[in-house]
Amino acid sequence: MKLPALTLLLLTTALIAQDQTTVYKGARVWPGGGAPIDNAVLVIAHGKVLQLGGPDTQVPDDAVIIDVSGKSITPGLIDAAWNGLAPSDQNEQGSESTPALHALDSVDARSNGFLKARRMGVTAVHVMPGTMNVIGGLSAVVKTFALDPTAMVVRDEAALRIALGAEPSSGNRAIRGGSVDSIYYRRPTTRMGVIWEVRRGFYDAQDYLTQTIEGGKPQPNRDLDVLGRVLQGKLAIITTARSEQDLRTALRLGREFGYTPVIDEAQEAHFVIDELAAAKVWVMCSAPSADRLAGSAGQDGAEPRFSTLPALAEKGIPFVITTGTNPLALDLVREATFAVRFGIPAEKALDAITSDAATLLGVADRIGKLATGKDADLVIWSAEPFDPASQPLFVIIDGNQAPTSR
Amino acid sequence: MAIHKLFFVRILLLSPCTALAAQDLLIECKTLAIAPDVVVSPGAFLVRDGKVAFLGQEIPAEARAKARTLAWPTATIVPGFVLAHSTLGQEQDLAERAVAMTPELQAADAFDPYRTDLGQLPRYGVTGCGLAPSSRNVAAGIGALVKPGKDKGRIASNATFLKLSLTAAARDPERPPTSLMGAIDLLREGFLTAKRGVQGGPDIAVLGQALRGERRVFFAADTFSEIQGALALAQQFGFEPVLVGASEAQDCIEQIAATRAAVVLQPLTMEMRGDRLLLPQRLEQRGIPFCFLGNPHQLRTSAAIAVHFGTSRKQALAALTRTPAQLLGQQDLIGSLRRGCDADFTVFDGDPLDLSSALRAVYVDGQQLIGDEPARITTSATGKEAR
Repeated sequence: MKLPALTLLLLTTALIAQDQTTVYKGARVWPGGGAPIDNAVLVIAHGKVLQLGGPDTQVPDDAVIIDVSGKSITPGLIDAAWNGLAPSDQNEQGSESTPALHALDSVDARSNGFLKARRMGVTAVHVMPGTMNVIGGLSAVVKTFALDPTAMVVRDEAALRIALGAEPSSGNRAIRGGSVDSIYYRRPTTRMGVIWEVRRGFYDAQDYLTQTIEGGKPQPNRDLDVLGRVLQGKLAIITTARSEQDLRTALRLGREFGYTPVIDEAQEAHFVIDELAAAKVWVMCSAPSADRLAGSAGQDGAEPRFSTLPALAEKGIPFVITTGTNPLALDLVREATFAVRFGIPAEKALDAITSDAATLLGVADRIGKLATGKDADLVIWSAEPFDPASQPLFVIIDGNQAPTSR
Repeated sequence: MAIHKLFFVRILLLSPCTALAAQDLLIECKTLAIAPDVVVSPGAFLVRDGKVAFLGQEIPAEARAKARTLAWPTATIVPGFVLAHSTLGQEQDLAERAVAMTPELQAADAFDPYRTDLGQLPRYGVTGCGLAPSSRNVAAGIGALVKPGKDKGRIASNATFLKLSLTAAARDPERPPTSLMGAIDLLREGFLTAKRGVQGGPDIAVLGQALRGERRVFFAADTFSEIQGALALAQQFGFEPVLVGASEAQDCIEQIAATRAAVVLQPLTMEMRGDRLLLPQRLEQRGIPFCFLGNPHQLRTSAAIAVHFGTSRKQALAALTRTPAQLLGQQDLIGSLRRGCDADFTVFDGDPLDLSSALRAVYVDGQQLIGDEPARITTSATGKEAR
């Protein structure tokens, strides 16, 4: 029974393309942000989801029907903190504070990272500037495939990233005698210095905004303009903080300058659960599986724990799951599998890598769910998505089958 | 003699003949490529004061009689080759490494007229070269058109293109920008400032010239993402760039065409991957002008390889002559042998795109730099022996 279905699927692969109506019939569909639908009918046309419903859903006459009984379908996965590109392109070391830089400028549409991501069902990623700068710049949400590379961009200027901890100050050197023969003789060299750099930026931005409001015409400054947008609540701000003290600092800076940060990485969130709940922040939890390596997998001195996500869920703190900057991270779906393993309901874990991630990144109007009018980004899995033996059979982006090899 | 009508509309350039002026040269050959699409046979033209003064039947009988005649009855003469972009081995002098933003620097200021690399150009049929500031700076400076000469070279134009670069060489870990996004943003900031029209320094003024189309932009970009970045900036600020290098151009042909960009390709070698060897043909199909950079000896082989892989002979010859001249904005001076152009030409004993054709002679500004005098030659005042 299953074998013919698979054969049919393989035969029709060449037909999976935007310009025809395609119906996926018989699979268990996880729509994202809702309960799975068994024996579902999913209708795709012109790169968009036309309809999703139960077995008795009306099927358009001219549609190509693909029997996917026994398979699972999820929305395309969204990695809200993805690091699949070359770090040297992601970090502008010319200055510690580069708010106006666009991470999008560093995106190589043909990078192997995209290929690797979509092989495991990731159809959109959030690309942020790297963590070597205190104020890194503007992030972007891009799809992992498009027939025309310029169409990959879902949203530019999604958020501003700032990074706390020891990483941004690493590489900087103090001037002690000797000649200054490098741009790295500069502040900051400590955690404190990193915060000084953030504060300086925001104080300058406050000045800039005040001058503008009072009718003055300050010299146009794109950096201060970006920071000003954060202070005015017009631009989301993501603060990368891993260890307990950095997490507290991230929240404190938010209070000081009147913004609500999104907390990225948060490997020690379990130590500051109450503070996170009180601040009503979103948490982008990176690589929840890192605890499997018992103490050695944390970065910046942090200790990741399996219990972090259940603790966040219990307090009702909204979270997404990402692969983040941890080099030991598994594929995004496997990271979510670890969340399920340690007590997060499967539906919730899937939301954390689909619909919730889309909401957090401000792209929920297009991606993250399988519902009428959304982009036809979906993954057909060989089994339940969180079954460790499950593999994506097909990854479909904007209605087109995305190539998973060169 | 079939001569294209176009050169009749050219304005007659006549220099006053004085006793000191050099004797006119009458060049005769079997085949003359006045331009890639204007090939006549047999060909003849008159060189006066280093310029092409008359072509074919236009040559007045009196001038014909007085001229010193050089006849190559079996040869093909084509315009001297133009190397669109080179540092002529002066990389150190052409890379201002202290800062990345130096658009106002002029390569002409670093030009060494006695440079060996320059003197070697005629050996390979090259008679003009775009001397470019190095790709190590994001906004590197202004290029010059230089030409080799008998004893020393000369600057034919000191203000040609603006050179920008997004390549790995322009990203230096010891000075900003260190990353591609930093490099792109540096240019974006510069162009935005220029666009606002505020009083800026000479650097902003040069960027403004590029924005207004007064100065062509040569944009060094190799990888897919560098090309994308260059094209995105060109689209945002509305200029038509010349991509230099563009190793991965085959993946963004449509965008290159949409931006009305031209491409100066890396030289072709037979060891390259097939899609890169087919690139010239694909560019020709999409109407994208292209030519080659690299060592001067690779120019002719690159064009021949392009023909081997499907490019038309006309376009391949254009890539050696007219296209680089146009990209340098010097098409009225070099790259063709129309009336009024510099008398820069090469004499081959066959089709220059056939690699077995030998280079017989090279002339720059009407002066012979390479090769032997032809067998049939006369300096008689009556010119009876010439024909």
